[in-house]
Amino acid sequence: MWSPSTKPSTPMSCGSNRAACLALAAILITHPASAAGVVSLNLCTDELLLALAPERIAALSPLARDPTLSVFADAGARHPWVRPSAEAVLRLHPDLVLAGRYGAQAAVAILRDRGLRVEQVAEPTDFPGVAAEITHVAAILDVPARGAALTASMQAHLAAIRPRPGTSAIFWEARGYTAGPTSFAAAVMQTAGLVNAGTGRVVGVEAMRAHPPALLIMAQAPAYPSLATDLLAHPALAALPRRTIAPALLTCPGPWSITAAEQLSH
Amino acid sequence: MVHHRRRATFPLSARAKVFCFFFSKNKALFFEKRKQKTFAPGNPVPYALLLLLAAASLLLGAAGVGIPDPAIFWQLRIPRTLLALLVGAGLGLGGAVLQGVLRNPLADPGVLGIGGCAALGAVAVFYWGLSVAFPPALPLGGFAGAAAGCALLLLVFRRAQSGPGLILAGVAVSALAAALLSLALSAAPNPFALYEITFWLMGSLEDRTLLHLALAAPPILLGCALLLRLSPGLDALSLGEETAASLGVPVGATLARAVLGVALAVGAGAAVAGGIGFVGLIVPNLLRPVVGERPGALLFPSMLAGAALLLIADIAARAAGLWLPLAAEPRLGVLTALIGAPFLVSAARRAAA
Repeated sequence: MWSPSTKPSTPMSCGSNRAACLALAAILITHPASAAGVVSLNLCTDELLLALAPERIAALSPLARDPTLSVFADAGARHPWVRPSAEAVLRLHPDLVLAGRYGAQAAVAILRDRGLRVEQVAEPTDFPGVAAEITHVAAILDVPARGAALTASMQAHLAAIRPRPGTSAIFWEARGYTAGPTSFAAAVMQTAGLVNAGTGRVVGVEAMRAHPPALLIMAQAPAYPSLATDLLAHPALAALPRRTIAPALLTCPGPWSITAAEQLSH
Repeated sequence: MVHHRRRATFPLSARAKVFCFFFSKNKALFFEKRKQKTFAPGNPVPYALLLLLAAASLLLGAAGVGIPDPAIFWQLRIPRTLLALLVGAGLGLGGAVLQGVLRNPLADPGVLGIGGCAALGAVAVFYWGLSVAFPPALPLGGFAGAAAGCALLLLVFRRAQSGPGLILAGVAVSALAAALLSLALSAAPNPFALYEITFWLMGSLEDRTLLHLALAAPPILLGCALLLRLSPGLDALSLGEETAASLGVPVGATLARAVLGVALAVGAGAAVAGGIGFVGLIVPNLLRPVVGERPGALLFPSMLAGAALLLIADIAARAAGLWLPLAAEPRLGVLTALIGAPFLVSAARRAAA
């Protein structure tokens, strides 16, 4: 229909200015060294770091201060935050970087390449896993005694929960996803004595209304508008028995998630 | 005036009609008249078909086939069915008007970026919390975005009146809308806004409420009413802006009304249904062999056929969600794009030939 008449132009590059480019880059990278510490790139490692060794924090992820997602939002807001980009982390000169198993992969690769110690922490899917994760991170942070104390108090809280007689329930998440049988939410439900009827697949409002569980569990709507959680407030479901829990309790598996299990158990 | 030529038909006896048919040179004209009658506002057949489709739509959903319980019927199926009809009508009619105004069979609100601009307006209003405080802000945002996109497009088109120029202007408007959308969302309070929106932009009518219907219906109906009245002006415009002006058609006012109408009909629809493209492209091109080339004659049929097409696509989406082993219901905009993209290619080849 139309013929492109534009000719390819010479590509822009540093070219003859390479020396100037390098000099500029050198100025940007060699920022005066600040106090070393631990940088966390992931909300879940933020929370563990806040629980185990807050005095060593150099920077947390931006989500650590979000009251909808973080259980330690107030404490998180008192620390500096950093975007999970290699350059931003490098200029902090941390002696340890905590990251999740997924996300910020490119940044993690560069940081490792530059010789930084980066520890990737996997998300547990049940409470024994949470205890193991705490012990692991406490060992990385060189505070094994604090880890042991936290695990012990967690076990005590878990033992205090009296599970309710098995009620079928679905944990319904943003965009209509249900918590699958191997998810951490399922473990929390099981601790509370609930029988997870979710499959991990998407269930729309109509299907939920047609085959409702005895109990519908969902996270409280976030403080900010969200299209993904809009359907959870659909008026067609107003009559279903439901429980809402603070989303921060389950965003990252941790000792705080026991509060969710306890709330659901009665 | 064109307006009168269309309306005034001489009452001819049946014998006179046969006589005229045999001795007229342009026999196609006679068939054109017959064709138009199929879609004339008085013909009950299209309405009956739409009613049948609506009935099928009310009886099918994730809950299964058959009459559902009242909550599902009133709070899910009714809004979904009526929104499909309304949004489809707005898109079909908007497409027909754009093709007439721009004198290009490839024009479509989605392809030219007007849908993207509407999404920009609606999404910015939603994520910045305005629509929580004041729900009608949602369709208003869609309308404002679509109006801006439409006006920008028309400005560019009137400067360089060529087919490729128009499509390139559409590409530019789309890119601008996408960039501004991403910029607006990365500054929104919700940290997941950008992730959420990619899904929403694929378009869907799943899980909409009666509130969505109440918000979208008035602007879409108003926009359609405005656009339907453009019929004589569009016929005159098909001869070129100067000829139309010499026929006494107020060109500027007609274009302004087209912008306003398209923005209302398309913008409010996009605000509740997300990005649904290609309906406005497919419908007028499908109807042209049946209705004829006259842009004014295409408007009303395009509105009905747009409603029917989107409802059929939505029924197909629900049927696929119900009977196919899919993780989630296929997005409505994905289905219309699957039909529409090959259609665009074939329409472009026909236009080039």
